[in-house]
Amino acid sequence: MSTDSGTAPVVALANCSKQYPGVLALQNAEFELRAGEVRALLGKNGAGKSTMIRLLTGAELPDSGTVTIGGAPLVEGPSRRAAEAYERGVRVVYQELSLVMEMSVAENLFLGRWPRRSGVIQQSEMTAAAEVALSRLGVNLAPNRTVASLSPAERQLVEIARVLIGHPKVVILDEPTSSLADAEAKLVLSAVQRIAAEGIAVIYVSHRMAEIRQIADSVTVMRDGRIVETVPIEGADTREIVRLMLGTEAAERAAIMPPPRGTPVLEVRNIALAPKLSDVSFTLHRGEVLGIAGLLGSGRTELLETIMGHRPRDAGTIRHDGRNLSGSSYRAMVRRGFGFTPESRKDAGIVPMLGVDENTVATDFGAVGRWGILSPRRIADATRRVVDRLHVKTARTDTPIGTLSGGNQQKVVIGRWVHAGSDVLLLDEPTRGVDVEAKAQIYDIIRELAAEGRAVIFVSSEIEELPLVCDRVLVLRGGRLVEELTAPGIDPDGLLAACLAA
Amino acid sequence: MTATPTQLRPTRRIALGQHMNELSLLAGIVVLYLVFASTANGFLGLYNQVNILRDAATIGIAAWAMTLIIISGEIDVSTGPMVAFISVVLAYMLQWGWPTVPSMALALVVGGALGGLAGVLRAHFDVPSFVATLGLWSVLRGASLFFTDALPVSIGRNDVVDALDRSVLGLPPAVLIMLVLFLVFWFVSKRTAFGRSIYAVGGNPQAAFLSGINVRRIRITVFVLGGLMAALSGVLLLSRLGSGNATAASGLEFDVIAAVVVGGTALSGGRGSMVGTLLGVLVITLIGNGLILLGINPFVQQVVRGVIIVAAVLANIYAIKRSQGRRG
Repeated sequence: MSTDSGTAPVVALANCSKQYPGVLALQNAEFELRAGEVRALLGKNGAGKSTMIRLLTGAELPDSGTVTIGGAPLVEGPSRRAAEAYERGVRVVYQELSLVMEMSVAENLFLGRWPRRSGVIQQSEMTAAAEVALSRLGVNLAPNRTVASLSPAERQLVEIARVLIGHPKVVILDEPTSSLADAEAKLVLSAVQRIAAEGIAVIYVSHRMAEIRQIADSVTVMRDGRIVETVPIEGADTREIVRLMLGTEAAERAAIMPPPRGTPVLEVRNIALAPKLSDVSFTLHRGEVLGIAGLLGSGRTELLETIMGHRPRDAGTIRHDGRNLSGSSYRAMVRRGFGFTPESRKDAGIVPMLGVDENTVATDFGAVGRWGILSPRRIADATRRVVDRLHVKTARTDTPIGTLSGGNQQKVVIGRWVHAGSDVLLLDEPTRGVDVEAKAQIYDIIRELAAEGRAVIFVSSEIEELPLVCDRVLVLRGGRLVEELTAPGIDPDGLLAACLAA
Repeated sequence: MTATPTQLRPTRRIALGQHMNELSLLAGIVVLYLVFASTANGFLGLYNQVNILRDAATIGIAAWAMTLIIISGEIDVSTGPMVAFISVVLAYMLQWGWPTVPSMALALVVGGALGGLAGVLRAHFDVPSFVATLGLWSVLRGASLFFTDALPVSIGRNDVVDALDRSVLGLPPAVLIMLVLFLVFWFVSKRTAFGRSIYAVGGNPQAAFLSGINVRRIRITVFVLGGLMAALSGVLLLSRLGSGNATAASGLEFDVIAAVVVGGTALSGGRGSMVGTLLGVLVITLIGNGLILLGINPFVQQVVRGVIIVAAVLANIYAIKRSQGRRG
């Protein structure tokens, strides 16, 4: 892990800028990394981390500036650039695993480049090479096991071992531990340390400060497309890093003044779901917007899904209006007046080919018909009410929802629970992938729904938006609630620091 | 379209785009009529036209339910053996002297239950519907052949059964039943919570579940309907042949699936229409009828049919893509 400042950098960005339609994704970026160095890259969503990674891998060309890898600038055009960067030794391990589940570890390591002789794969040669590759990471895995039989951490290690095979110079790891429990993450961390010890430069994207302190030499903080600062990890204060990440953005919206607390609607006690959640307890009140903050992998989605009965819990009780709900199915929860909007709108939120109307009334067909026979007029009326109420921009009520913008789709996904008359709303990342204007509208909608006496749980990984919407925020870290902040005392800095910890 | 007043254009165009599938199928049917009318002797005769409708009923009744199954993202390949099995079961019940109408009702219930079995395997045990119904296909065909030794099971004279094959207003009852059921299925698919839930489940099962739709019940019900409609075809087959026949309706499932797919229903689920299937059934029936009238070698008929089916679907996909491209 020694940093030899005498040698030339392996990777350098010089005055790089990149413009996307409507947004300056990267602005005059200067970045250098030396062999064997581990650099943590920090920044909230949209800060420019992905853009920078895409420039390094040759997936994008900078509008201006040069990308230098291994002492020479990348010169190729868009079609050949990624291959050029690859040849120079840039490798990325992405969040989404790209392994073939039913194939062996060895086959995955050499996927598509299996050692072969006249088309026949040389099994023993491949196994031996796989063992060498894995031992470089200090991993003891039988190369003939299928990936499906591995733990999430082991799969991540296979993914890392795969990029090491071609003797890379730079390895970029994009939140490799976000889906891992702490104990599992240690395996990945020690692998990263071994890579660096071999003289490979590592860019480590993560938000877990404890990990960063363990393995990184220094931290580069990005904000709004700029590299704000690079600080050595020793002596860096978490609060200071948070300040660099958030900058001095003033909250443009009036702070929430919480109304007097209503009666308890939902009481969650000692919920556990190994290994994601342990001992989670809180109470949600009528008319309240309760935020849940936490990093990717902190157990946010699991918590909501457990409450909704979508995941069976290991322990704990849930009471709604004083009644114990044990083992209620998802549909039973819906009938009790719970509404849930999923994190991934496209995969689980909308039926893209159906109209806005049918996506809205699907939660309660009974309200728009009788004996299962639907009334087109009542469907149109009910949809019109939701569309007006939530300011959904759509030409007609039967426009296929897949053609709407993300923000308008999200409003419909929330609106279907307004149609169903739900009084407890569990919203998982309702503003993800939504433009700024729609975000503000969604905040207003959530406040209105709460003002009408509904209770709302608002999960978000965008720390800054929680103070704008929530009466109270709980911080989830490593599957536990670690902190509670109440408006008007919710400040983004404190929240982010609590999420990062250490 | 150039003659249309300008202000009407946009709505017209969208309406056209939405019905591109049906329009291109109608055009295909017109072409088939023109070709066969000019080449095949007696194609346009009343006798042959009634025959076409009768053949259409055999495919159509099963195709209505198959449309719902495919829209829900599933498939049912057990149709042919189911038709034959039910005709055999009913023939035995009548041979034993059981009262006719209750026996028919029981035969329908058996069909629905067998279909429901496939549905339960899919919905509760995650057996892919292709596998579940393939198993059913083999079991039903095998059982029918075993019990009958592949010989027809004659039912003798039976007034109720004979009545089912006597023309009403010049049309065989099977044709009328097909048309009435078409209206029922059209209404169910368009205007009922059950029908719209099928589209939601086929379009995105996860989103449908999270909206509170009972995905399992929908999946089981479409297979019950599949079994029920195949059983009804079995009853009509018995009335037409006067005997239960273990070897009948061989390959019917492929005609039915072909009709649904030619009708524009997506095998991936979530998209399709009853009107499309109606036209698809006509296309498949017309091809079969015309090729027989032309006296083409039966083996070559199969080749020609296969080519026409793929060509029809290809042309349809192309027409829809073009109309969408123009809109976008």
